[in-house]
Amino acid sequence: MRGELVEEADKNSKAENSLGLINIYSFLATIYNEEITAPVLRQIRNPRFLEALSSVGVQLDDDMFKGSEDRLVEDLAVEYARLFLGPGKHIPPYESVHHERTDGDWGSLWGADTVAVKKFIESTGLEYRSEYDGLPDHIGVELEFMKEVTRREAQAWEEKDEDGADCCLKIKKKFIEEHLARWIPVFCDKVIAAANLSFYREIAAITKSFIEFERKETDRYLSRV
Amino acid sequence: MIRTTRRNFLKLGMASGALLAAGEVIGCGQESLTGTVSLEPGGKDFSPKTGAERTAIPTACWNCVTRCAAIGFVEDGRLVKMESNPDSIRTEGKMCAKGQAGPNHVYDPDRVLYPMKRVGPRGGGQWQRLSWDAALTEIVDHIKPLRDAGTPEKFMFHYGRMKASSSKLVKSSFLHTFGTETIGNHTSICEGGKWVAQELTWGKHYDSWDFDNTGFVLNFGSNVFEAHTNHIPTSPRLIRAMTDRGVRLITFDVKLSNTAAKSSEWIPIKPGTDGAVMLAMCNHIISNNLHDRDFLDYVKATGDPDASTEEKEDSLRNHLDRFTPEWAEGISGISADKIKAVAEDFATTKPACLITYRGAVAHYCGAENERSAMMLASLTGNIDNPGGRCKAVGASWEYPKSPDPPEKKGLKILNGFPGQVAFPNHHVSNQILKMIKDGSAGRPEVYMWYCHTPVFANGEVQENIDVLKDESMLPYSICINPFYDESAALADLILPDATYLERWDSEDMVSPTQVAEYYIRQPLVEPLCGIKSFADVCFDLADRMGMPLFESEGINSMEDFVRYACENTTGVPGFDYMKQNGVWHDPEAEPKYYSYKKDMGTDEDLIAGSYTLDPGGTGVWWKQPKEDARYGDDKHDYKTYKAQKLADGTNVSGFKPDKINKSGFMELYSELLAGKDYSALPSYYPIPEHQNMSAGQLVLTTYKVAVQTHSRNANCKWLSELFHENPGWIHPDTAASLGIGDGDTVSVTSSVGSFKTKARVTKGIIPGAIAVSHHLGHWQYGRYASGNPSPDPQPAECRPEAEQHWWNTYGVRPNWAIPNSPDPISGQQRWMDTVVTVTKI
Repeated sequence: MRGELVEEADKNSKAENSLGLINIYSFLATIYNEEITAPVLRQIRNPRFLEALSSVGVQLDDDMFKGSEDRLVEDLAVEYARLFLGPGKHIPPYESVHHERTDGDWGSLWGADTVAVKKFIESTGLEYRSEYDGLPDHIGVELEFMKEVTRREAQAWEEKDEDGADCCLKIKKKFIEEHLARWIPVFCDKVIAAANLSFYREIAAITKSFIEFERKETDRYLSRV
Repeated sequence: MIRTTRRNFLKLGMASGALLAAGEVIGCGQESLTGTVSLEPGGKDFSPKTGAERTAIPTACWNCVTRCAAIGFVEDGRLVKMESNPDSIRTEGKMCAKGQAGPNHVYDPDRVLYPMKRVGPRGGGQWQRLSWDAALTEIVDHIKPLRDAGTPEKFMFHYGRMKASSSKLVKSSFLHTFGTETIGNHTSICEGGKWVAQELTWGKHYDSWDFDNTGFVLNFGSNVFEAHTNHIPTSPRLIRAMTDRGVRLITFDVKLSNTAAKSSEWIPIKPGTDGAVMLAMCNHIISNNLHDRDFLDYVKATGDPDASTEEKEDSLRNHLDRFTPEWAEGISGISADKIKAVAEDFATTKPACLITYRGAVAHYCGAENERSAMMLASLTGNIDNPGGRCKAVGASWEYPKSPDPPEKKGLKILNGFPGQVAFPNHHVSNQILKMIKDGSAGRPEVYMWYCHTPVFANGEVQENIDVLKDESMLPYSICINPFYDESAALADLILPDATYLERWDSEDMVSPTQVAEYYIRQPLVEPLCGIKSFADVCFDLADRMGMPLFESEGINSMEDFVRYACENTTGVPGFDYMKQNGVWHDPEAEPKYYSYKKDMGTDEDLIAGSYTLDPGGTGVWWKQPKEDARYGDDKHDYKTYKAQKLADGTNVSGFKPDKINKSGFMELYSELLAGKDYSALPSYYPIPEHQNMSAGQLVLTTYKVAVQTHSRNANCKWLSELFHENPGWIHPDTAASLGIGDGDTVSVTSSVGSFKTKARVTKGIIPGAIAVSHHLGHWQYGRYASGNPSPDPQPAECRPEAEQHWWNTYGVRPNWAIPNSPDPISGQQRWMDTVVTVTKI
C-alpha cells in the first residue's frame, strides 16, 4: 500500500518529490538563520521565484518592491532584529521559549526541549558543527534537521531502499509530533501578528502551513504502509 | 491565504532549489549541522534514566555583591541548578533565593545574544545586528583616535559592580594601559557615605560583624536579614546567635523590615535621626563612666595626639554634653528612658556589636551618623575585637602588572561640582550625568557603561534619560550588558556580556570568620551564541589597538589572568585545585582581631626601615618624601604610612589610613573634617528639608527586600514571581489624615518628579513617612521585569507563557521622585531624605 504522495513520486521520481521538500526546508532555514543579503534579496525578487511563492498563496506587499535595494536590505535587517533578535521586545526563535510543557519547564532559553532537540538530532548521527555557536533549538536548526532527514529519505528512494525511506518518514513524523507541531504554529502566529514587513509575515504563514502539510503527508504515508 | 496543495509546494520546492543553488555561489545559507543521517539501529543513548549525568562545577555567585562561593549543576550542557559550596567558611553551605535564581539570567528568553547597533534616532528602538568583529572594530574606531591624540580622558568608562579580578583586569590593566582616568563607579548610590566615615575614623573601609562571638547586637538602619552587602555570611550567623545563644538584637528603623520583625525589639525612629540617638547614647555612657578607658589609648579625641586618657575623656564629655537623651528624644521620637536603657545594655554586655547601614547613612551628612556609630563602638571597646565591629578580612590575590600608558588623564566630572562634597573618596556618581549636562568640566566623546544602569539606578530618572539621549552631550555611547535595560535602550551600540555563570574571576569578599577565603568563579556553561565576556573583550580591544596588556607571555584571556592569580598568590594551592574545589582558606590561620595593636618596634627599628616620625607632631611614621616634609603635605602620604606612636611612646600598627591622610589613631577627632568647617568630633546635622515641612508632606524612605537587588534582578523569573509589587507603606494615622485607605492608588510627588503606587496602610512604619522599595518599576528588561516580552499585539491564544507568568504587575520606581542629591561630606546619594506630597487619586 502506498500513499498518494508515493504514487505521484512513482510517476516522476520519488527522489524528486523529496528534493522539493528539501529545498523548501533549506530556503526557510536560510531565511530564519540570518538577515537577508542583497544577493538573496535579488533571488527572492526574481519573477520565477515570485511566481512560485504566489502559487502557494504568498502575497508580498509593495514594501518588497519599492525603494532602493540597499534600503530594503537594511529595512529587512532591522525587521529581522525587531522580530527575532531584540534587544527588547522580540520573539525568540527557540523552541524552549514557546513549547508549552506540562512539567512547566519552558519559557526560557536552553530549556528541557533544547536538550530534547539536541539529543534527537544527535541520535540520528548528525552533529552540530563545532563552529556553530547558536542554540540547539533555533528554528533554523530544526528546519535544517528536517531537510537532512528528507535528504536521506531521497537517497533511500534512489537506492530502492523502501525500509530506509520508511524509517526516515518515521523520524520526520516523530520530530514533527514531538517538536515542530508543538511550537511552530504558536511561534508563526506571533510573527504574523507582529511583522511590519510583508516578507516575514508571509514567510511565517508559509512556514506554519508547510509544517502542517508535512505532518499530514507523513501521517498519510505511514498510515498506508 | 496559503494554499497547501502538494502541487504548489512542489513548484515552490523547485524554485527554492534554484534560489539556493544561486545562494551557494553567493555565499548565503549558513548551516548549523554537519555529517549525514545514519539509519543504523542504536546510535547514541540519551536516556535520562541511564545516560544523563550532572556535572557539579564550583564557581561563585554574583547575583548580589556578597558573591558567595557556589556550585552549579550542569546536565546535558544545560545549567539546571545552583547551590552553595559546602566547603565555604563564609557561607557554611547556605545560599539565598537570589543565588538559586542564577540560571534565570543565563536563560532569560529576552537576553541580548548578539552585538546590536542603533538604527535611526537614539532611543528609537530600532536595531541591527553586527558581527563581533564589526562591533569591536567600531569601538576601536571610536576610542583609539582619542588615545592617539593624547586625549584618553575623553573615553569614559562607568561601572556598577566590578570587583576583584574583574576590577583589576578592566580598571588596572585595560583602562590603565589605555590611559583614561575618567572612570566612574556607583559607590555613592550604594554605601559611599559609610566608607568615607570609616576612612575618616579607622582607615580602610568595611566593617565586618562578628556575630559568632557577640553577646548583643545593636542595629541602626541595617536590614541585615534581607539585604546586607555580606548577606549570607552574616544573616544566618546572627539567626544562630539569637536562637542558640539567646543573643539579643535591637533594631532602630523607620520601617518594620523583616530584620526589625525578627529582632528582640523594634524601635521605630524618625528618618535621619539615628545619629542623634547614637550621640545621646555616647553621652549617657560616658556620663555614667560605662566606657572602655583602655581603648582610648588608641583614640584621637582632642587636637593633641599626646593627650592623656583624662584629657580625652574631658574632650568627649564636653562635646557630648549637649547631646542628651532628652535632646535626642525631641528629634528622634524615642523616649530618653529608652535611649538610656539601650545604651546601658550595649555598654555593659561584652562583647557587643554595633551594626549600621543605609537607613542610618543615606542622609544629609549621613557620614556623621556613621562617625557617631564609630564613636559608640569605640567608647564601649567593641572595635576589631571578638564579637564586635571588626576590620574586614578578605582574600588578597596576586595579579600581574600592566604597562603604563603614554599619558594618563581624567575629566573632572567624577567628584561632583567644585566644593559640593568635602570627601569624595569614592566619587559622586549621582552627579556625573549632571556634570555632563553642565559641560563646564568637559564631556566624554565616548561613554561606555558596564554592569550599570545610569538611567534606572540613580534618582531623577527623567533627567538621566534626557542626558543619555542627547547626542550633543554624549556623542557616542556603548552599553555592555547581557540584557536590554532602560539604559541599554539609549545606547548607540550594545555589546552583550557573558552572565556571571559563564565567565572567570578570582574573588575576595569579606569573611565573617576573620580568616580570608580565596575563591574563584568559572564558567558553568559556554556563553550562549558565542558571546564574549567583557574581560575577554578587553584583551581583544587592546590587541586591536596595539597596546598589549601584559608584557609576560601567556596572559591572553581572563582565564589566563585567573590562572596567574591562583598560581602566584601565596598559599593558594594552584589553578587546578581551585577549579576542582572552588574555595580555599589557610586551615592554620588564626582569626584576625586587634589589628591596630601590633607592636611595630622601637623608634630605631622604624628609622632603620627608612621611616620618619612626622615632624608635624601627629605621631605618624611614614616615608618622608623630602626633608622637612610633614605628613599630609602630599595628598598621597597615607600610602607610605607605617605605624602610629601612642602617647606612652610605643609604636603600634594603629588604624592604617586609606584614601586620606589621617593618623593611625581611631580618629573620633578629625582635623580633616574641621578643616572643611565640620565639627571635629562626631555631631548631628539636621536634614534641612525636614525642618520646615508643611502639613501633609511626608518623608519618602526606601528599602530593599531579600529576593531582589537595587536594579538588576527583576529579569529573574523566580525572583519576580516572589516580589513584583511594591506599594507605599503608610501609617494608619498618616493615611487617615490624608484620606487614604488601604489599597488606594496614590500619587507621590516631589520637587523633581512623581510616581503612582498603591497605599499599604500599616503600623509597620512610623507616622509621617512613606516607604517604597527599590528593585521594581522597569519599563524594559524583558518580560519578567516589565511585562514586555514580544511585539504586540499578540493573539490571546498565542500567549502560552501566561500560565507560568501569572503576574501582571511590575511595581514602581521611586527614583523618578528622588533628587540626585549628595551628602555634602561623603557624596552619598540621599535615598532617605526626599520630602513628598502623597495624594489619593
